[in-house]
Amino acid sequence: MADLQLDAVTKVFTERDGNQITAVDDVSLTIEDGEFLVLVGPSGCGKSTTLRMVAGLESISAGQVRLGDTVVNDSKPKDRNIAMVFQSYALYPHMTVRENMAFGLQESTTMPDDEIERTVESAADMLGIEELLERKPDDLSGGQQQRVALGRAIVRDPEVFLLDEPLSNLDAKLRAQMRTELKRLQNDLDVATIYVTHDQTEAMTMADKIAILNDGELQQVGTPLECYHEPANLFVASFIGEPSMNFFDVTRDDSRLVHDHFRYDLSNETGDELASAQGELVLGVRPEDIDLQSTPDGAHTYATVVDVVEPMGNENNVYLTIGDEQTQTFVATVDGMHHVEAGETVYAHIPESAVHIFDRQSGHALRNRTVESTTIPETKL
Amino acid sequence: MDSLRNSLRRLNPLSETATEQSQGTQTQGSLAGRLRDSDFVESMPFWLPPTLLVLLFVYGAIAWNIAISFTGWSGLGQPEYTDLSLEMYRQLPADQNFRASLWNTILLLITFTGSSLVVGLGLALLVDRKIRFENTFRTIYLLPMALSFVVTAIFWSWMYASNGVINTTLNVFGLDLLTHNWIGNPQFKLAAVIVALIWQFSGYCMIVYLAGLRAIPDEHYEAARIDGASTLKLYWRVIIPQLRSSTIGAVVVLMVFALKAFDFIYVMFGTNPGRSVDILAVTMYREAFSSSQWAYGAAIAVVLFALALTIIGPYAYTQYKRGAL
Repeated sequence: MADLQLDAVTKVFTERDGNQITAVDDVSLTIEDGEFLVLVGPSGCGKSTTLRMVAGLESISAGQVRLGDTVVNDSKPKDRNIAMVFQSYALYPHMTVRENMAFGLQESTTMPDDEIERTVESAADMLGIEELLERKPDDLSGGQQQRVALGRAIVRDPEVFLLDEPLSNLDAKLRAQMRTELKRLQNDLDVATIYVTHDQTEAMTMADKIAILNDGELQQVGTPLECYHEPANLFVASFIGEPSMNFFDVTRDDSRLVHDHFRYDLSNETGDELASAQGELVLGVRPEDIDLQSTPDGAHTYATVVDVVEPMGNENNVYLTIGDEQTQTFVATVDGMHHVEAGETVYAHIPESAVHIFDRQSGHALRNRTVESTTIPETKL
Repeated sequence: MDSLRNSLRRLNPLSETATEQSQGTQTQGSLAGRLRDSDFVESMPFWLPPTLLVLLFVYGAIAWNIAISFTGWSGLGQPEYTDLSLEMYRQLPADQNFRASLWNTILLLITFTGSSLVVGLGLALLVDRKIRFENTFRTIYLLPMALSFVVTAIFWSWMYASNGVINTTLNVFGLDLLTHNWIGNPQFKLAAVIVALIWQFSGYCMIVYLAGLRAIPDEHYEAARIDGASTLKLYWRVIIPQLRSSTIGAVVVLMVFALKAFDFIYVMFGTNPGRSVDILAVTMYREAFSSSQWAYGAAIAVVLFALALTIIGPYAYTQYKRGAL
């Protein structure tokens, strides 16, 4: 068992007309033994390419991938001691479940047949697919195929477990169930895992550590709650969280932030903190941090008109407009029992403690919301 | 359904009048009215004529041929359908020519089909490796398939001639020992035909396999590589087994072609190619149309028909079981 390290890993594709496209740009990551890292980002951000470079399915243009102390850049996939679960599962359709699971052991080890048999059966037992061993993949449901694909990876007893959007072909309910199951399984196996997804919910719920990629560049690496509460930049702030963070383009005018439709006064404390932050900024606030009040009460409260209400049962997503032209919209998440209706005028309170400030040019976070350190619970199981 | 019926009516004035009549007589028997209105009756003008033609000229001809094989018809007279017997079939096993041609037919069937599949699979695997000029290669390999047997037979008789391309090439390389009279020497005649047919049909196999290979997702190759399979094992255990249905499809087509290799042999050798390359189709033609042994020729045709059925039958049955027919 060993740590997996990516050191300034870069992937450049050369197109037929000679154009060079950098799919992965200078990505450095460390995945400790037993750690569950989720690589998340929008489609085309280079997350799958990164995973494929670790797997050895894609050559590495620059940088190093190390497993323990060994550089594996030029090793073939089979010499890397990794196992991978594909989005499409890639089960061999002409083999039974048993044969699918045994294939890797037969090809990559000298393990005797009876031992392979035992290993396959214990993995099947672990995943609850013993009854399916003699079936062909075509006879299985999506969830069962998913388990077989996991089983095929588990039997190899790999040092690194790679999962490429493994839940994206499942329906929503099964996906939620498999999320917990996968997390528990990874915890039991205690193997370094890279999990690629574009779904921020999967990232938040499963990861020990999230790495967020955009345009081939690493944006932030941190625990899910760090990424949520202390986003490094505008991209992370907008990508993590559902509904996503509200942003207002503002300019700094001494101790206040000026928006086209409102002004936001900064306390002395915050003003000092943001001493260097001048000119064009972005004010960000998460929907759940906005309070809706029926009467204006206190500072940082603004009159808004309810545009649309999305009832979720436990909570309502309330889309609000501010200003006469109703050009700026934003969303607040309120308790499901809190009754508001479209067209109503409500007062939105944006507490200063929940406000994020970003530099509009670079996108860097200049100030993140204040979080009591005790409010971030330990995520390790 | 109604719109279909309306469009059918528009296409077919006959049913229009039929519908009018049925509306007029609706109060009478509703069964007759319903029958006239039914899709089955209304669609009849479309499927009935071709069905009758096929029944008469295909299945009728087969039945007539079987009937003739039970007579003793030969020469210029008319067949006697009153005196039917299995006499012709009784003669078959003792006939050296028939036995030789049956043997040749089976040999041709097996070696030609097997070799074409192997060559086609090899070509498909090579062409599938995302090579340059892939389309050009594909066209070049498939082109012989587009040619008529007559053209390829003449072309290959030039290749095989004693001073033809093959022998000349062998001479140039000083391999005079290997030159033979390829289509004169009974030892090589059948082999020469088989090689030419492989040349003509392996391109077809390549296309069938290529389509099969394209249907296999890249992830299977990648998963197998991660599973630690060598290239050889990857193809042998993961890829080629998935080409099973391509193989079955190609085998049926090739075998049926092999049974019909008549044109090729007829153009190359005429009606009497000699016992070493005689196949059932040629023997049948010779007995019937050269020797006027009509009944005997018909009996050979029935044997050929039975052979074709034993090839198609299982295929059709499995396709039917899988719901593909």
